[in-house]
Amino acid sequence: MRMIGGRDRAELRSDLLPSLLLGLAYYLAARLSLELALVDENITPLWPPSGIALVGFLLFGSRLWPGVALAAFVVNLPISGSALAALVTAAGNTLAPIAAAVMLRRVGFRPQLDRLRDALAIVIAALASTTISATIGATTLLVSGAIAGDGYLAAWSVWWAGDAMGILVVAPVLFTLTTIREHPIPRGWKVLEAAVLAGLLLGICSMTLATDLPFYFLLFPVLGWAAWRFQQPGATPAALLVSGFATWAAVEGRGPFEGLGLSEQMFTLQSFNASVALTSFFFAAIVSERLRARRALEEAAAELEERVQARTAELSATNERLAEAQQLAHLGSWEWDVATGSVTWSEEMYRIHGMVADGEPMTFERAIDFAEIDERERIRANVERAIETRTETIPDLEYRIVRPDGDMRTLYGKARLVLADDGSIRRMVGTVEDVTVRRGLEREHRIAETLQQALLPQRLPHLVGIGLAARYVPAEEGSSAGGDWYDVLELPGGGVGLVIGDVAGHGSEAASVMGQVRMAVRAFSLEGHPPAIVVGLVHDLIRSLYDGEQMVTMLFVTVEPTTWEATVVNAGHPPPLVLDPAGGASFLEGPVGLPVGLNWSLPYEGSIARLRPGSVLVLFTDGLVDRRDVPVEEGLARLRTVAGELADRERDIEELCGSLILSLVPEDASDDVAVLAARLDPVGDRLSLRIPADPSKLASVRRNLARWLTGHDVPVTDADDIVLASSEACANAVEHAYGPGQGSVDLDAEIDGGTVIVVVTDAGSWREARVRDRGRGLALIEACMDRCDVTTGPTGTELRMRRRIRRPSV
Amino acid sequence: MNGPASIAVTHDADLVVVTIDGEIDLANASELEGEILGAVPNGAAGLVLDLGALTYLDSRGVRLLLSVAGRLGWRGQGFALAAPAESRCRRVLTLAGADGAFPSGSSVGDASALLRASLGTGNA
Repeated sequence: MRMIGGRDRAELRSDLLPSLLLGLAYYLAARLSLELALVDENITPLWPPSGIALVGFLLFGSRLWPGVALAAFVVNLPISGSALAALVTAAGNTLAPIAAAVMLRRVGFRPQLDRLRDALAIVIAALASTTISATIGATTLLVSGAIAGDGYLAAWSVWWAGDAMGILVVAPVLFTLTTIREHPIPRGWKVLEAAVLAGLLLGICSMTLATDLPFYFLLFPVLGWAAWRFQQPGATPAALLVSGFATWAAVEGRGPFEGLGLSEQMFTLQSFNASVALTSFFFAAIVSERLRARRALEEAAAELEERVQARTAELSATNERLAEAQQLAHLGSWEWDVATGSVTWSEEMYRIHGMVADGEPMTFERAIDFAEIDERERIRANVERAIETRTETIPDLEYRIVRPDGDMRTLYGKARLVLADDGSIRRMVGTVEDVTVRRGLEREHRIAETLQQALLPQRLPHLVGIGLAARYVPAEEGSSAGGDWYDVLELPGGGVGLVIGDVAGHGSEAASVMGQVRMAVRAFSLEGHPPAIVVGLVHDLIRSLYDGEQMVTMLFVTVEPTTWEATVVNAGHPPPLVLDPAGGASFLEGPVGLPVGLNWSLPYEGSIARLRPGSVLVLFTDGLVDRRDVPVEEGLARLRTVAGELADRERDIEELCGSLILSLVPEDASDDVAVLAARLDPVGDRLSLRIPADPSKLASVRRNLARWLTGHDVPVTDADDIVLASSEACANAVEHAYGPGQGSVDLDAEIDGGTVIVVVTDAGSWREARVRDRGRGLALIEACMDRCDVTTGPTGTELRMRRRIRRPSV
Repeated sequence: MNGPASIAVTHDADLVVVTIDGEIDLANASELEGEILGAVPNGAAGLVLDLGALTYLDSRGVRLLLSVAGRLGWRGQGFALAAPAESRCRRVLTLAGADGAFPSGSSVGDASALLRASLGTGNA
């Protein structure tokens, strides 16, 4: 139950006019069709009001029924037996379209009639709903006595067919009219085509009337044409035209209907109309549907194409960026479909392998053929293990490939196995990085560092009278090893040479130049040249080796241990610092020559300074004093201050070197630092040396002993003989006491009054040697010394020698 | 380089002159012996060994000299030492009692003349 409120009354009012208008349309159409009544005056073969009512109800709602009911009553009143009969008939006439509307709404009917299901729905609705009006109408006629009992079936069937045809022929035209805006307006040839179609239809109809021949069959292809070319806007008016004409012909009994009985006429007409209606709008619906499907397909295709294009553009932009990124990173990527064996390589992947994509499909085997032969099994095993064990993570692999042009590259590969949810292998993906350059740089850096370390003295010589310490700090990690070096030489005349220098440049080349300079200094010094000449010779050598393009700064200081006279030759290097035993620090300033190796030719000059015993000489490279934004003078002054303070409390020169670097060199030093410190010790009364049993150490024994003897003012002639005897004794120990590389030899010397006593001891037992040789050595020793005693005991052999010094009279 | 010594080879007509600087001791004596002998081709008349600038010579060095002189004599080639009389080299040879084993001159010129004289191939 619904309460009728103000709102519903307003709705009722707003429905009134449409309702009345619908009723009016119904009435006019009814009056027109009643002119075509076949049974008496109230049953017509075509009842358009049913179609009009259905369209009204469907479009505006079934609530417009009062207008239709009223119109039906008014139409039926004059032709019915009584007001009641008219009322009942009107009710039937109203109910039928309402039922049809309900049915159509239920199935989702669309008035466009462009789907086959809509066409089918309207046919079924028309045939089904009109049984109501036909039954009610025919029964009313029977009850009111308008027809006899035996005429009931005929009346019913005419009524039913008329109402149904009314819906089938009229409703589609009206539906089409309401949706006509959805159709394109025909232009040009289409208008002509429509006119030709209409002309053809009218022509065929006229022919049908004019002759006895069944020309009307020809109407069907024309209807089909209209439906095909114009769909519902063509099909429905054509069907209406043909049906209207046929109905008129039937009523008039003309053409094919001439001479037929009522029921034959009815049957013929209705079957014809049904054929026309069904043919035309079924066909139209099908064509529409297919057209729509095609359009949808086209639109979908167009949209798809658009999306594909957009996506392709997007992808290609992404790919381009990816390719650029890959190229920058020397990073290629690949994908391997394990099942099909097909391998996809990125552009950079081809570039890394020194080729371009040649259209030949890439395969695992083809890819692996790039690897060096020795590497292939390793790669294959790595991959196969992952596939066998279905392990997603695959160990990274570094391997070498040979490009088609023979170039060898080092690659770093990462790969991953992609497994499906069920654990089956889908594909393998990975990246390959060209690490050739990086590995080369790393190797270069390692070589330079190794070279640098190898070229620096492994350990400083043990010198009598001169304590030595050195530090070398490579530049911060990541930067190349530099060309700083230091060296300590024992000079032929008994002096000590201190060298420090800095080769311009970095890396292994600087290190190798450093090695050459270091060896050149040693070689030229060994020849006994004065320090300034040695530096000049080194300059000539480096200049000619590197065409004057290699610059080396260096400092060469020689120290005579007896006189503590230092000769300084400076080739563009920071001056040496002297820490005085009484406190205070000063630089040994003197003439500074140009760096070694450049294209010039001027002699170097040595400056001589006499140092006090106990002084410390500090040689260093600019890494110790150079700071960004700080003038060189300031750096040097700071070093002097810091070193002076340190020297006051730090007597150990090892500690001194360490402290200097700690105080002055920042952690992130960008330059190498080398520091070499030498402490000039007063000569002791006793000398103790220990050397490994190695023939090459004999020279060092001779230097130290000579320095010590000279320090004690032993004349050269005596010293030379003592040195010869001592060296012979050590050589005997080295040669006879041990096998190669074993043990050590001790030498102890002291001066007792005017006598020098040298004791050489080894811990081995003298092995059998050729008597003649040993004899010659011993003979030499005996010739050199005043006395010589050999003591062989269980712990080794001791050779004790003494010589009185024949001091020349001063 | 041969340890603490360096070696240079020159030619004076049919004589080979080998100059050794530095020191000769146990560390380099046998190596030097091979080099010295290798520097004297079969066609050479003899060898002058210049040890004037040598700073050290030990018993192995003395043995080297005797050995070189002996080997060359066996090959029919002469040998002479060039070193100043007051040099370390001559001093050691004297100490070792080997100073009369081969002709010795105070310079290369002296030694060459001595050698040529002993070989009987006078040359201005």
